[in-house]
Amino acid sequence: MSQEQVEILQRALTREKNARKAAEKILEEKSRELYFTSQKLENLLDEKSSELQGVFENIVDAYVVIDLNGNILKFNEAATKLFGYDIDREEVKIAKLIYKDDFQYAVDCFNNLQTTGFFKDYETRVYTKSKEVKWVHVNGSVVFDKNNKPIAAQGIVRDITEERASAERLIESENRLSTLILNLDSGIVLEDENRNIVLTNNKFCELFKINAQPADLHGKDCVTSAEQNKVLFKDPEGFLKRMSEIDDAKELVIGDELEMIDGTILERNYMPITIGEKSKGFLWTFTDVTLKRTYRKSLEAQKQKYYSIIANMHLGLVEVNTNDEILMINQSFSEMSGYSEEELLGKRGGEIFPVEGGSEIISIENEKRKKGESNSYEIKVNTKQGDIRYWLISGAPNYDINGNVVGSIGVHLDITELKALELQKEKLLLKLEKSNDELQEYAHIVSHDLKSPLRSIDALVSWLKEDNKGILDETSLKNFGLIEATLEKMEQLISDVLEYSSVGTDTNLKAEVDLNKMFSDLTTILYIPEHITVKALNQLPVITGDATKLQQLFQNLISNAVKFIDKEVGLVIIDFEDLKSHYKFSIKDNGIGIDKQFHDKIFKIFHALNKSKDSTGIGLSIVKKIVDLHEGQIWLESEPNVGTTFYFTLKK
Amino acid sequence: MKTLNILLIEDDMIEVMKLNRTISSLKLNHKIIEANNGEDALKILEQKDVLPDIILLDLNMPKINGIEFLGILKNDDTLKYIPTIILTTSNNQKDLLECYKIGVAGYVLKPLKYEDYVAKIEKLLAYWSINELIKA
Repeated sequence: MSQEQVEILQRALTREKNARKAAEKILEEKSRELYFTSQKLENLLDEKSSELQGVFENIVDAYVVIDLNGNILKFNEAATKLFGYDIDREEVKIAKLIYKDDFQYAVDCFNNLQTTGFFKDYETRVYTKSKEVKWVHVNGSVVFDKNNKPIAAQGIVRDITEERASAERLIESENRLSTLILNLDSGIVLEDENRNIVLTNNKFCELFKINAQPADLHGKDCVTSAEQNKVLFKDPEGFLKRMSEIDDAKELVIGDELEMIDGTILERNYMPITIGEKSKGFLWTFTDVTLKRTYRKSLEAQKQKYYSIIANMHLGLVEVNTNDEILMINQSFSEMSGYSEEELLGKRGGEIFPVEGGSEIISIENEKRKKGESNSYEIKVNTKQGDIRYWLISGAPNYDINGNVVGSIGVHLDITELKALELQKEKLLLKLEKSNDELQEYAHIVSHDLKSPLRSIDALVSWLKEDNKGILDETSLKNFGLIEATLEKMEQLISDVLEYSSVGTDTNLKAEVDLNKMFSDLTTILYIPEHITVKALNQLPVITGDATKLQQLFQNLISNAVKFIDKEVGLVIIDFEDLKSHYKFSIKDNGIGIDKQFHDKIFKIFHALNKSKDSTGIGLSIVKKIVDLHEGQIWLESEPNVGTTFYFTLKK
Repeated sequence: MKTLNILLIEDDMIEVMKLNRTISSLKLNHKIIEANNGEDALKILEQKDVLPDIILLDLNMPKINGIEFLGILKNDDTLKYIPTIILTTSNNQKDLLECYKIGVAGYVLKPLKYEDYVAKIEKLLAYWSINELIKA
């Protein structure tokens, strides 16, 4: 081998050596690089797996890993919390967690998982450790090893119990709402932009006499429907016209009234429904207001009726508030007072009209009304023309709907004419009383003046007789006797006339009169011959009346009875009967009797049937007058020669 | 029996005669002073030294009537003690009440018949004859 060769070889070797060295160096570098890279990767992996671990551990939803036998291998924190099991301490099988009713569904799902390798949106109920039932949403997939062999299943479980509950509530409330709408007492139609029905209800079908279910109307065109329905209305064209107007305007309309041919009155409202900027349709509502309207109509009619009564009645009507300020008057009051309504509004009636203390009366009466009393009173007033009139005012408090007194209403009647009559009557009464008194006085004086001469004549006659004793012959003596008898008759007549004229006066002497006592007094006063018995059959009552006059009544009747008894044994029987408001007395005798034709006459003054010394014909007139005064009646039954019974009643 | 001084106030002449005749026919010794009306009577009564024992008074008289006279009498401190008996035709209840209200010693109605009159006057005078009277 040549040097050259050797040198060549040596140079080649050196080159190779250098090359190897360089390669080694590169390798070393690369290997270092690789090492670092792998180091890096390892770190990265560690990082990633811990990151992943963290993700699973920390995701909000539960993360569950099970083996193929259904044993739970892994629960993250959320899962532990959700199910309540600590799988490090106890063994839990997935089957135990499934809600019994959902078991079949779970099995199907699991099968699905095995065939396809995953499942999604599985919603089911599960039991927790504390036996609580929860709704969960599960997404699951199978876990394979490197040889692509399934070794486990993993799932993300989300607790949707709350969500589910609110969804249910929403459905429930939707149901409620739709039931409500369906059965609403107003008919409604919700239409969309194109006037197609979106929603309607039973009442609408009923009102519009549509023989279909509300749901069937869905999607129908409102315009066509309206064209069909218009015949139901009294003004079909008006109905359509108004509807299209409303539809064009697309603005809220409340309280349109539609009159249907069957008399039904519908109230129609229209409401565009927008949520935010978006139109959600247009709502028509129809309400049957027939009852309400007819009610209002009859109310209106009633009001009209009373209004015309008030306006046309001949009584003045004034409404005032609690300050006595006039709020309203009717036409009659305007005529009565002379003022127009404008002149009186806001004025106080109590200040304008009254004269002579009327204002005080009014304020007193107003106070009473404020307390809720109704009243009536008279006042003297001045009209606008200055006439003095008398008004009778009947007032009643006026209440608001809460029952507070807000004023009063007074009805005014002009009683001036009446009042004039009343005053005239009072005057007349006074005058009458006075003239009665005068007459009474006059009667007494006249009777005195008439009686005095009689007395004098009697004295003179008796002196003549006395002074001429033995001188006068029989005839003269007899004539003197006749003079005396005539004088007595005259005196009696005067007395009776006076008595008769006195009966009507002093009737105010009312007292309790015991008729028994009066009767026993009478039997001692009256002259009753031996052969006549006067008796009362029963205990007589006590009555209210004028004692003197009652005595006179009984006295006249009894003495009459006694006077006209012609039988050998005379009997006068007094009895009575208790009627409701009166007592009926009877005085029965067995005297000469009175002929029927005189029964009425005998009570008239100066109608004595038997002209005799002691009969002036006034006695029975007095009796009648006294009975009249005691609001009774007198009559008689009689049979000539058998006897007479006088009946009379006296008020209790 | 006392003898009475009687003041008769009466406007009717025959009535005066009746009383005089009655007293004389009854043989009584009473002394009668006559006055035709209330005014005359008051004049007589002014002389207080000779006051009557009793007064018989008619009611219906001209000028001062009986009731007015009675009022005047009862308002006088001396005269009010003289018993006054009304002798009248009036049986008017009002007069009767009024007289007793003012104060009278009696109220006698004049009867129609003279005999009845005599009987009444006899009793009246007999009664007052036995009464004790206040002497002025």
